[in-house]
Amino acid sequence: MARSGIGSPIAGALALAIAVATMGSASSQEVKSAVKYGDMTTVSQDLLNRAESDGNNFLLTNGDYWQRRYYPNTQINTANVARLHPAWIFQTEVKESLETSPIIVDGVMYVTTSFSHVYALNARTGEEIWHYKHKLGPVTTFCCGPNNRGVAAYGDMVYLATLDSKLVALDAKTGNVMWQTDLADPELGYSETMAPTAVNGKILIGTNGGEYGIRGFLRAYDAKTGKLLWNFNTIPDNSVGVWAEKDATGRDMHRDIAAEKAQLAKSGDPFKTLGGGVWQNPAVDLETNRIYFVVGNPSPDLDGSVRPGDNLYTDSLVSLDLNTGQYVCHFQYIAHDIWDLDAVSPAIITTVAGKDGKPIKGVIHAGKTGHVYVHDAKDCSLIRFSEAMVPQENMWTLPTKDGARMLPGANGGVEWSPMATNPVLGLAYAINLHQPMTYHVANAPYPQGKLWLGGAFKVIPTEEQWGNVTAVDYNTGKIRWQVKTPQPMIGGVLATAGGLVFTGEGNGQFKAYDADTGSILWKFQAGAGVNAPPSSYTVDGKQYIVVGAGGNVQLDYKRGDAIIAFTVD
Amino acid sequence: MSSRTARRAGGGAQLVAAIVLVASVVGAQSQTIEEKASSCGACHGEAGIPQDKTKPMIWGQQEGYLYLQLRDFKRGTRKNDEMSPIAAALEREDMLALAAYFAQKPWPSLEQARAPAEVAKRALVAIGSVGCTGCHLGEFQGDGSVPRLAGQSREYLAKTIADFRTRERGNNPGMSDLMNATSEDDLAAIVEYLAGR
Ligand code: HEC
Ligand code: HEC
Repeated sequence: MARSGIGSPIAGALALAIAVATMGSASSQEVKSAVKYGDMTTVSQDLLNRAESDGNNFLLTNGDYWQRRYYPNTQINTANVARLHPAWIFQTEVKESLETSPIIVDGVMYVTTSFSHVYALNARTGEEIWHYKHKLGPVTTFCCGPNNRGVAAYGDMVYLATLDSKLVALDAKTGNVMWQTDLADPELGYSETMAPTAVNGKILIGTNGGEYGIRGFLRAYDAKTGKLLWNFNTIPDNSVGVWAEKDATGRDMHRDIAAEKAQLAKSGDPFKTLGGGVWQNPAVDLETNRIYFVVGNPSPDLDGSVRPGDNLYTDSLVSLDLNTGQYVCHFQYIAHDIWDLDAVSPAIITTVAGKDGKPIKGVIHAGKTGHVYVHDAKDCSLIRFSEAMVPQENMWTLPTKDGARMLPGANGGVEWSPMATNPVLGLAYAINLHQPMTYHVANAPYPQGKLWLGGAFKVIPTEEQWGNVTAVDYNTGKIRWQVKTPQPMIGGVLATAGGLVFTGEGNGQFKAYDADTGSILWKFQAGAGVNAPPSSYTVDGKQYIVVGAGGNVQLDYKRGDAIIAFTVD
Repeated sequence: MSSRTARRAGGGAQLVAAIVLVASVVGAQSQTIEEKASSCGACHGEAGIPQDKTKPMIWGQQEGYLYLQLRDFKRGTRKNDEMSPIAAALEREDMLALAAYFAQKPWPSLEQARAPAEVAKRALVAIGSVGCTGCHLGEFQGDGSVPRLAGQSREYLAKTIADFRTRERGNNPGMSDLMNATSEDDLAAIVEYLAGR
C-alpha cells in the first residue's frame, strides 16, 4: 500500500454530504468562479505527444507520456537558482496532506487537494479562477489519507478521480461537471487518489483498495462520454503463477510452498479478494501503443496463509495494449509478498543500456525495497537492479505474531513518490525512507470491504529514522550520489534541463540539488511539509517552479494548505 | 433519499404529488426520521450524552462510520445484545438517514480531563508507531468511514478496544490486528489521551 488528517471546516462540509451524486448532477456540486485569465487552449493530442519538449506547459502528471519528469526549459539553472524566490502563494481551503502534481496549460494551473477538491489558478499570479468541491458520499474507504494526486487535462476538460471512487469530467473553463461515472463501490473498499492519464480519447485510471480485499483494475474510459472502453483486472483469474522462491534480486523469500499448495487445494484461487491496487499513472509508449504501470500489494497485506500462490500480478510491472487493454507482459518483483514492500512509484520509459550494453527502450521503477529496477520494454524482463539505496536487514524474515524486525520498513525504500530522470546524464533521482519496523502477522477471514491487514507493521520508536535523495545511474545500477535528509522522504522529484533536481522534505524544506553532483544549491522553508511532486512552467517568457506544501498524513508531517510558485527575477 | 431528491428538483404541483405519494408509501411502515431517531436517545442520550459511560456518543460522529456500524450490527459482524436487535429492524435507507441525522448534530463535550503529560507522551509514541493518525486524521476527528475518537467516552473507548483485541468486535479485523500489535499499557495511555482531547 502507499500509506498516507482533517481540519474541522471540512468535517462540517462532509457531514452535509449526501449519499449519491450521479450523472448530470452539476447543480448539486459547489463551484465558485472568479476572474478568467488566459485563453485556456484546448489540450490536443498533438500537444500532449510533444509534452517532453514543451518548455511552456506542464501537461501530464509526470511531465510527459514516458513520465521522465525532465523539464526542458533552462532559464532557471545551476548558475542562477540561488536567486529563486516565491512569486506567489495560493492557499487552498483544505489544510491536509497535499500530494498534487500541478498541471499547467497556457497560463492556467490545475491543482487538487485532499478530499477531492480541484482549483484552477492563474499561473502568473496565483489568483483563483474556479474551485470544484466534490460532494463525497458518506462512505470513503481509504488506507493512507484522503489524498489526491492531481487532474488530467484533455480537450476542453479536466478529469478527477475522487475519494468515493468516481471519475469526474469538469469543464476546464468553469469547473462545471460535464459527466461523472461510478468506478467501483466504496463499501467494498475501493477509493481513488491517483491522477488519471488522458491519451487518444481515453482516460486511464486504476484504483486503491489493497488493504480491503478488492480486486484491482486499470481501466480506460471514453474521454467525451465517460463510457467504459476496457477493463484489465490486475488480478487474473489464475493468480497462482510459478511458485517463485526468490525475489527479483535472487534472495530467498522463505515461502512454505507445500503449505501454500495444500491451502490452494482447500480454498481455491484467491483472485476475487486479492487486492492489487494501482497507485500511480501508467507510462505510455505511443510508438508501440503500449502502457506500463506497477501493481500494489496483495490482500491481506501481511498474512499469506489465506492467499496461496504468487498472487499475480501484485508487486509487478505490467504492460498492456493501449487500444484493447490486453495483457502484453509482466515482471513480478516479489511473489507472495507478506511485507507490503510493493510497487507504487510510477514506471518510467527511457533509453537504457541493454544487457549487452547497447541502448534500448527500457522501463525503470523504484521499489519500496530500495532498488531501482531496469527492464527491457519489449518483454518486461529485468536487465539490472541498482545498489540498495537504503539499509536492508534480515530480508526476507517472515512476520511473526509478536513482530519481526526487518529493513526496509513497509513504507520503503521508495513510496508512491515519482522519480525524475535526466536523460543526458543517464540518472534517475529517487527519494527514500529509512524507517525501521517490526512486521506482525494475524489471521482473519475476508471482511467484506473492511480493513484487512493480516497483521500490522510498527515503527520501532527507539530507532533513528532518516531519508535520502539518491541519483542512480540506470545504465550501470551504481549510485552516483546520495544526500541524507533528517527525515524519511515522501513526495516526488522534478529534474530540469537547467541541471537541477527539486524535491521537498517533511520539515518544510524545499531544495534544489545539482543534478550532476548532488550539491545543495538552494533551499526554502515553506512552513509545512513539502511532500508533493514539483512541476515547472513558463508564462510570458518567465519560468516558474511550483510545488504544494501541505504536509503528509501518513508520516504525520506538518499540514498546510499552500501552493507556492517560484521564479528567479 | 426521496425527500432530498425532491427538494433538489424544485417546486411545482407534480412534485407535491410525488412527495405525498412517497410519504404515504414510506409512512405505511415507518415514522419520520426524528421519530425514529428519538428512540436512540434512551441509550445514546437525549442531548447526545449517554448516561451509561460504556455506551458511545453518536452525535456528531462521522456519517459513513455511523452507517457502516448499523449495517454491521444488522449483518452480525458486530454484535451487541442491546444494539443488534435495534439494527436488525432497520433497512439500508433508514441506516443512511439515521447516520446523516446524527452526523449533523454537534459533538457534545463530556469534559473529560486531559491526560497528564507523561501519559500523553507515552500515548503519542505508541500512536506514532502504528500511525493511527494516518486513518483517524490529524486531530483524531476521523472522516467518512473512519470514526472520530477525540473526546469519545473513556469507558467506551476502553471497552471497544478490548473488544477489538479479543475479536469480540469482529467487524474490522484490521483494527483488531493493530490493537493486538499494541501493548495493553500503551492502549490504556491512548484511551486517556483520546478521551481528554
Ligand atoms: C438499548 C440501548 C440502545 C439503544 C436504544 C440504541 N443503542 Fe446504539 N448502541 C448501544 C450500545 C450498548 C452500543 C455499543 C455496542 C458495543 O459496545 O459494541 C451501541 C452502539 C451504537 C453505534 C456504534 C457507535 C460507535 O462508536 O461504534 C451506533 C452507530 C448506534 N449505536 C446507533 C444507534 C441508533 C441510530 C439507535 C436508534 C435507532 C440506537 N443506537 C439505539 C445501545 C443502544
Ligand atoms: C489503516 C487505518 C487505521 C489505522 C492505522 C487505525 N485505525 Fe482505528 N479505525 C479505523 C477504521 C476504519 C475504524 C472503523 C472500524 C469499523 O469499521 O468498525 C476504526 C475504529 C477505531 C476505534 C473504534 C471507535 C468507535 O467509535 O467504536 C478505535 C477506538 C480506534 N479505531 C482506535 C485506533 C487507534 C488507537 C489506532 C492506532 C493505535 C488506530 N485506531 C489505527 C482505521 C484505522
